[in-house]
Amino acid sequence: MKYQNKEGWIFVAPLLCWLAFSICVPLYIAIELSFFDIKIIGTEGKFVGFKNYIKTLNSSKFPKALTNSIYWVLANAITQTFFAFLIALTLNKHFKGVKIATNWIILSFIIPTVVIVVIWKLMLSSSSGIINSLLVQFHIIDKPIGFFSSSTSAFVSLVLINSWRWSPFLALIILSGLKSINQEIYDASKIDGASFYAEFFQITLPQLKGVLFVLGLVGTLLSFNVFDIIWLITKGGPSSATTTLPLLIYETAFTKFRISQAAALSVITSFILLTFSIVFIKIMGKDND
Amino acid sequence: MIKDKGKLFLGGSLSVIFIIFFFPFFWIISSAFKSPQEIIQKDSTIVPRSFTFEHFEKILFSSDFLIYLKNSLIVSFFSMFIAVILSIFAAYGLHKLKFYGNKLVERSLLVTYAFPGVILLIPMYLMLGKMGLLNSYFALILINVTFSTPFAVWMLKAFFKTIPYDIEEAAMIDGASKITILFKIIFPLALPGIASVSIFCFIISWTEYMFASIMISGDDLKTLPVGLASIVGQYQIDWGFLLAGATLASLPVIILFIFVGKYFVSGLTDGAVKQ
Amino acid sequence: MKKYLSILLVALAMPFTVTPVNAATEVTFWHMEGVPHRVDRIQSLIDEFNSANPDVVVTQEVQNWGEIYAKAPASVASGTAPEILVGIPDFTPILAEMGAAQPVDDFISELDSKYGFYSKALDQYTYNGHTWAVPLWNMAISVWYRKSVLEAAGVQPPTTWSELEAAAKALTKDGMYGIGLPGNKQLYTDQTIYSFMVNSGASEIYNSDGSLRFDNEGTVKAYDAYKNLYQYSAPDAANWTWGEAEACFASNGCAMILQFTVISTYDSQAEGDAEDLGVIQIPYADGMADSAGTVSYVNSAMIMTDDAAKMDASKRFISFLMEPGNYGRFINMEPGLFLPITEAGSKDDTFWNDPVAVKYKSQIETMLDNSTRGSLFGFTNGNTFTSISAISAQNLLSQTLQLAIIDGQNAASAVAEGQSIMTEAIE
Repeated sequence: MKYQNKEGWIFVAPLLCWLAFSICVPLYIAIELSFFDIKIIGTEGKFVGFKNYIKTLNSSKFPKALTNSIYWVLANAITQTFFAFLIALTLNKHFKGVKIATNWIILSFIIPTVVIVVIWKLMLSSSSGIINSLLVQFHIIDKPIGFFSSSTSAFVSLVLINSWRWSPFLALIILSGLKSINQEIYDASKIDGASFYAEFFQITLPQLKGVLFVLGLVGTLLSFNVFDIIWLITKGGPSSATTTLPLLIYETAFTKFRISQAAALSVITSFILLTFSIVFIKIMGKDND
Repeated sequence: MIKDKGKLFLGGSLSVIFIIFFFPFFWIISSAFKSPQEIIQKDSTIVPRSFTFEHFEKILFSSDFLIYLKNSLIVSFFSMFIAVILSIFAAYGLHKLKFYGNKLVERSLLVTYAFPGVILLIPMYLMLGKMGLLNSYFALILINVTFSTPFAVWMLKAFFKTIPYDIEEAAMIDGASKITILFKIIFPLALPGIASVSIFCFIISWTEYMFASIMISGDDLKTLPVGLASIVGQYQIDWGFLLAGATLASLPVIILFIFVGKYFVSGLTDGAVKQ
Repeated sequence: MKKYLSILLVALAMPFTVTPVNAATEVTFWHMEGVPHRVDRIQSLIDEFNSANPDVVVTQEVQNWGEIYAKAPASVASGTAPEILVGIPDFTPILAEMGAAQPVDDFISELDSKYGFYSKALDQYTYNGHTWAVPLWNMAISVWYRKSVLEAAGVQPPTTWSELEAAAKALTKDGMYGIGLPGNKQLYTDQTIYSFMVNSGASEIYNSDGSLRFDNEGTVKAYDAYKNLYQYSAPDAANWTWGEAEACFASNGCAMILQFTVISTYDSQAEGDAEDLGVIQIPYADGMADSAGTVSYVNSAMIMTDDAAKMDASKRFISFLMEPGNYGRFINMEPGLFLPITEAGSKDDTFWNDPVAVKYKSQIETMLDNSTRGSLFGFTNGNTFTSISAISAQNLLSQTLQLAIIDGQNAASAVAEGQSIMTEAIE
């Protein structure tokens, strides 16, 4: 194939211009902000060089939020992968109603985050919630649980809610990958007497490499940056147990009124994510398009 | 024997999936029709014992819900159109024209998700403020297109890959220009894929909250998620009102999905991603 | 042809070139009361004002509570700030320091002489030698209960903390929680714990030089009492805002709660039996003589413009709202929640004639009485500093509380740690 540089760039140019305006310019402004000591937006501040960065790296909040973020990403990855595969493998079979189920499984993804928050806050409430009500009725517990009352339970509940939202979407993408696998490979392995697990790990997973690459990369980034759900349900509590880096940034900017410090924190966070992306691409991207 | 065990697993996993992913909706919608007392009572009910339209009446007729709906529809449709057009061009460019830096552009697009939304929030507010573009549909469209295009480009590129090269080659031999090929050949063949990308962009815009709440200050331009959050009182929560609002806020996408859902799903699942 | 064309063009251009002699002054009014019937009530008052004052056009724009801390300074920075912004006490100092909120000393004297502000209301907005906003309404926390529920358990309405604990214990049975106390890192919890602090002599958190005296014996007593009571609260109270506490009370899940009001939810989502609804002042620490008051939270109107015409128009609108005859209707946008902050206002017929106010008259009278003895942390004895904004916005009082009730620390060490968190936050 001939290399057609000029035309390629022309096609890509409009989008790149748009993103240059909406991402690069704000990014530049944010980086600039991080070198001053501006507290409230719009006020003056003096140039302080790397002071904000040093302060952030030395503070106790940053490592805690970073650890929370890492746990958050891992917990979500495991939970969502489990549910996504469960759904995808199920929907890959033939049964009555599979088309309808496949069409509507995505319901939890297409509704606004606010609605998700309302749904789960009410369902998990210990005074009026259906979950506690059922658990007590069936004598699984004798008093209602506070799903957001302790550090662990709040974290776990949020992971489950976020996974509830994203798993169907991931499932559909995996399903698309599953459908593109040549059935003959499975037929051949069945003749050889392969078990379900062998099939899954030796055929299915390797065949899904391309899909899993993108989901791994983009999924991790999107997961890391989840803000709305956590903020609207626990605001990062109780006792900062669910304060991930995006929340810490927002808090620093708007409740601590320290814009420049928040900007420095954002730059550090982006740097971490960029590093992760580059490493991930280098390691996993070898045989992918 | 194995077949029965297989059927058992299937039935089991279907039930689990159904309960986890569909029951919450049933509960919320049915609760929106309950009387206020029944909604907050201690022993929650699954099957409603009371029935009232009052919450829906209040939302539709005594609040600005319909205005929020209109705004969300306008913003989401325009964001979708612009995002899809930009993505089609970009995806085609990246896919068919193997130019130097192709891989770099493609990967850096995906990596735009590495920047937390928060980092863009204030600079963009200041930028748009100085340009007088705050409190406008454009501000929201700007954001929505930015957040949806990187993934959309990836999805489209995968679709374009499924189109047999012979067709294109034939057209090129006939002397067709790249643009003609794109619109007359690629576009029709990739329609399911384009449909699914459109729906994806629509949904991203529909559900966006953080930027919409900061960029818009006038009531007449509020989108649904922001409007829903504001009609929840600070010191009182009218749960029926909230549930009716949640139900209605989901309705438009659900209706949209009834019509085009199968394109989205088939676009995603009919072997669109070839290895 | 050319002649007619040019006449046409000139005629079309006229509206754009002739500047009206008396262009209406536009005033944008930002507030956070987004509940539809409140928006409607405000709109009808705005319409009345606009027709009576054709040279001013007031428009309201509703903001969400969650975003206002971010949005208000951002709007000032980008030059798109509203003329009037409803202020909350802990946020005004920031805007005052930015130079965004205008001092309104003369305006206050004028209104004061006409309507008589409650002095405690003015306290929340007066510091650094000026008053920075016009108080509009008050909210104060009281203890709410059902008389029948207490009677059935053989419990008297408590007056001291030991009585309160005994009552909570006796009332916790059959799935009911004796007292619904919040444990969230949120403003409601800040306010509730402060209502305890007020009643153990710990209402003052600052020294006169701006350093903190949060860590003191009274505070420790308050946090200790709260910690002991918290065991009788609902399991999900760590997630509560005002609305969840009210829902608990309305559904009879909680026997007692501390709240600004439960009237509207009690009326519409519960029995609505005015005879049975009891309200009392906050109990006080054993050894004190009487209840020292409660926490009160005064909302105000800040004038954010220094343009003379706009300032004047804004003042006229605010005066209009404060006038008896309008004032009652204004704060009754949510009857039984907002309380008057002027003498004249508290006698306004339009306040007391609202059906809800008529039905719950005795309760509202008690609420009003309690509110006159209400104060807010950071705004006591003139010791107000800008740093209170950070302390309040970050909910450090409840963050400290969570150290005790969630992390399990004892009150003394939690409060000590709280003080160091606060000190770090304000430097």
